[in-house]
Amino acid sequence: MPATTENQGSFLGRISIRRNQVMSMDGTHDQEMEDLELFQKHVGDRFSELLSTTTTGEDSSGDALLSISWLRRLLDEFLCCEAEFKAVILMGRDPSQIAKPPLDKLLPELLDRVVKSLDVCNAVALGLDAVKNLQRLAEIVVAALDVTPLGDGQVRRAKKALSALIAAMLHEDNANAKGTERNRSFGRRTGNSSGASSKDRVRSLSWTMARNWSASKQIHAMMSNLAAPRGAESSGLAQPVYIMSTVLVFVMWALVAAVPCQERNGLGTHFPLPRQLSWAQPMIGLQEKIAEEWKKKEKKGNVGLLEEMQRMEKLGQSLIEFAESFQFPPETERLDEMKKNVEEFAEICKKMDEGLEPMQQQIREVFHRVVRSRTEFLVVLDQAGKLSAPAV
Amino acid sequence: MEQNLNDNSSSLPPKEENINTDHTTHSPVVESEDKPDGETEKATDSEQVLEKEESKAEEENEKKEEEKEQEQEQEKVEEETVETQPESPAPSLEKVTEEIDQFILRLQKHVDAKESTSLEIPNFIHAFLHLVEHKIEKYDTGETKWGQTIEDDSSLLECANRISRLMNHFIEYSRSHTQEQQEDEEKEKEKEMGGLDFVINGISVIQQRVISFLEDEFRTLMEEFRNPNKPDSKGKQQVADSSESETPEETIPEFPGFAEETIANLNKIAKQMIASGYENECCQVYAVSRRHAFEDGMYKLLGYEKFSIDEVQRMQWEALEREIPTWINTWKECTSVWFPAERKLVEMVFGDEAETVLSLMGNISRTIVIQLLNFGESIAMTKRAGEKLFKLLDMYETLRDAIPIMENLFPDDIMGEIKAETTSAKCRLGEAAVLIFCDLENSIKSETGRTPVAGGAVHPLTRYIMNYLRLACEYKDTLEEVFKEHSKIERADSTSRPRHESEESKAKSESKQKEDVSPFAAQLMRVMELLDSNLEGKAKLYKEVALSCIFMMNNGRYIVQKIKGSAEIYQVMGETWCRKRSTELRTYHKNYQVETWSKILSCLSPKGLSDHGKVQKPVLKERFKGFNAAFEEIHKTQSMWVVSDEQLQSELRVSISALVIPAYRSFLGRFSQILDPGRQTEKYIKYQAEDIETYIDDLFDGNPHTRR
Repeated sequence: MPATTENQGSFLGRISIRRNQVMSMDGTHDQEMEDLELFQKHVGDRFSELLSTTTTGEDSSGDALLSISWLRRLLDEFLCCEAEFKAVILMGRDPSQIAKPPLDKLLPELLDRVVKSLDVCNAVALGLDAVKNLQRLAEIVVAALDVTPLGDGQVRRAKKALSALIAAMLHEDNANAKGTERNRSFGRRTGNSSGASSKDRVRSLSWTMARNWSASKQIHAMMSNLAAPRGAESSGLAQPVYIMSTVLVFVMWALVAAVPCQERNGLGTHFPLPRQLSWAQPMIGLQEKIAEEWKKKEKKGNVGLLEEMQRMEKLGQSLIEFAESFQFPPETERLDEMKKNVEEFAEICKKMDEGLEPMQQQIREVFHRVVRSRTEFLVVLDQAGKLSAPAV
Repeated sequence: MEQNLNDNSSSLPPKEENINTDHTTHSPVVESEDKPDGETEKATDSEQVLEKEESKAEEENEKKEEEKEQEQEQEKVEEETVETQPESPAPSLEKVTEEIDQFILRLQKHVDAKESTSLEIPNFIHAFLHLVEHKIEKYDTGETKWGQTIEDDSSLLECANRISRLMNHFIEYSRSHTQEQQEDEEKEKEKEMGGLDFVINGISVIQQRVISFLEDEFRTLMEEFRNPNKPDSKGKQQVADSSESETPEETIPEFPGFAEETIANLNKIAKQMIASGYENECCQVYAVSRRHAFEDGMYKLLGYEKFSIDEVQRMQWEALEREIPTWINTWKECTSVWFPAERKLVEMVFGDEAETVLSLMGNISRTIVIQLLNFGESIAMTKRAGEKLFKLLDMYETLRDAIPIMENLFPDDIMGEIKAETTSAKCRLGEAAVLIFCDLENSIKSETGRTPVAGGAVHPLTRYIMNYLRLACEYKDTLEEVFKEHSKIERADSTSRPRHESEESKAKSESKQKEDVSPFAAQLMRVMELLDSNLEGKAKLYKEVALSCIFMMNNGRYIVQKIKGSAEIYQVMGETWCRKRSTELRTYHKNYQVETWSKILSCLSPKGLSDHGKVQKPVLKERFKGFNAAFEEIHKTQSMWVVSDEQLQSELRVSISALVIPAYRSFLGRFSQILDPGRQTEKYIKYQAEDIETYIDDLFDGNPHTRR
């Protein structure tokens, strides 16, 4: 994990020291302009780093787009942006400054988005649980096929797990949309137990959020009212608030696109990003790439764009083909091809095994962080006395 | 060992039959090698495959087999002539298993000793596989049902056990021999290993089929409790039903409603699945089933419903308020009954697998705990309002009390994260409670009404604040704790979440400055001071100084009474404070007397009445007139004033009487005879001392009194 937490402390330290010096020198205004520009630049840099080191396809020099490691970097960058944002808005500033227009409206709007993002965090954490279950199915496949001599029994075992795996990856969304009980009892003893149990698994892979909760609705709600500040506002504090809102929405949107989440039908592929602003450019680039992926998969129905899952699906398909046409004794050539696939499968499992748990913890960290920041903002808004109670 | 086998197969069946058996069992070999892909592809299900295999086998028998194959068979037959297994009319499973057990031992020794010689595969293995297949067939078709006879079930489990041991040893054997094979006698070995692979294949098919069945059975057993209406579980349905209805009140062993027998079965199956390398399947079924059972249970038995954080922000407080007791109860149930029961269940099913127990237990508890905490977090985030304080403190206490219970319940590996999460949610609730309590300051400051309360009665603000404080102080200990730990809002950038140490030391240094006043007591004092100064401001709204004194007395008395009425607040505010308040009250009382009654008393003063020892009649008349008018005026206005505290009311009346009546009585006694009796006396002496007393008793009643 990039050492964000460590960086952050020193970063905040720098900011505060600098600000104190500046305050004493009475050059506040210029310094403020500089801080705002710096914040914009940093946000741009962070996402540009994410964009430029993103690889697609075979190239394995960087992290693949929407892979676990990439998402974890995204979360790290988010945490950094958040810390920097708070430093810019809150540190060394008179509370009354952030309690007057247009911030008196923009800040509560951001805090409202923050509340909404908490549910997304929860949904994503549960979604990662579902991915862990996929991992376990994949491990069954690996365990079954990684045996010599390979017999019909192992292949059948692998096939059963594979069908469950593929079914879960393709239909999780739909199953969640329908929500409740599926017919679980039939299919047993009918001789075709794999079909029935895969349906079982489809429903059961993830924990559920509250009834009627929808990830796509939540993201849409976060996007509403998100507009770039105009005119005089665009040079003031309205700008970083807008940037932070955008970063928040983007990150949540990317997470929902990647990880299985309850009810994602109609998750938009685009939300307006200001094309003319330089900090937004890399984000636009990433958005386009992700949107493209999403469109490709949307029709098919899929459980998420998580790179590992997509690769798993592809490999799973060819392994199913292998299993379906398997006859004992196997031909060496086909066996070798299968072994290669299984190796890759095992490698994905390993990545999941190493990455999912820390990513879940990171999601929790984001959760706790934004909750606390929200409280801090509310306290300052309170102090300013303009708002006697939280706006949310 | 060879000798052993020979002994076993002393009653040899005719050679012909032997060949036949061999053909049947080995037929998959022939078939799959010879037939094009298309034909075998149809055989997807294990039953079909086997049926097909058999029919094919017969065909094969009639057909001329390929040279190579024949050679192999031939060799086999020759080698095995002496030790072929008995194909008695009804081969008994018991008999075969004995042989299998011995073979397994032999195989194991062989593998352990790393013997390079190859091992013949005895025919009774095929017979065994056939017998097991027959057995599982019966289960699969429902002819035999799991749970009907223990003997059948344990026999199936034993078969599964032998099969997986056979499988493991054979695979190991095959591995060691494949390595050697590359070096010499390649051709020979290949043939032999080929035969071995076919045997392994056969075993793998049966193993997969048996374990699949066990997996389904495991799932059914797990689900029975959750789906009592399921048609094929009638027998145990009642057990599940009765325990389900009792669950909430029952002690640990009754939740989650599995019969002992079911748990024993689950344990047996789990053991076998794990021994056969199917641990992942088993755990998955278990985890999925328990997760749904737990969630369904929370909803159906405890009435706990999930709300998203966003949803909670938009719900009415009345609706949320109803959910809070359910939430608290769910916590209590979970920590006292459900989690312990869950732990017990997983331990009973997966007893020997410490790691499995830990991970299954950890996953479910962690997710449930976080889910429950979410509601706490979202309540803490709702718009602050005074009336929410008490529910927030209830929730705070729930989490505070849950932590040590969970610490006893969960192993450290699991508890670490659970504790951090719970502590964090507790902090949020604590901070919210502190903020709400501190909002009292704002609600006092923002009470700026300019209309004085009629009659100088207790101000609604005083009533509100004091009653609120009284309720709040029922939570005094919790509030003390909350203020001590959470009055500083945690900074989001602090890396470690709960920082008890630093906060405690901070609290300590603060409290030292304030002479050991706790942060909560300090806040309470602040509220009282604010209330005082607010009331002083309001007192100034009265035009009459006397009335503002009455107002201050009324409110002051109300405050002191409330504080004395609650041991908790009294303890916080302390005796000194109360004494100081009482002194203040006395001052107001005195001021009132001076303000209202000093003027009237001057009418009764003998001073200036007499000139050179002679009472001036006109002056006396004026004095009486003045007294009467002033007293009537006071009576008229001050009987409209309000003193609702009976004690204060009577204190005031008594003190007024004590002041006025003796003076009036002596004035009367001294000067009444100076006036001419009759008309003049009647005109100027309107009241007897007793009348004055009666009229004084009308004061502070809040009612207009007419003179009697």
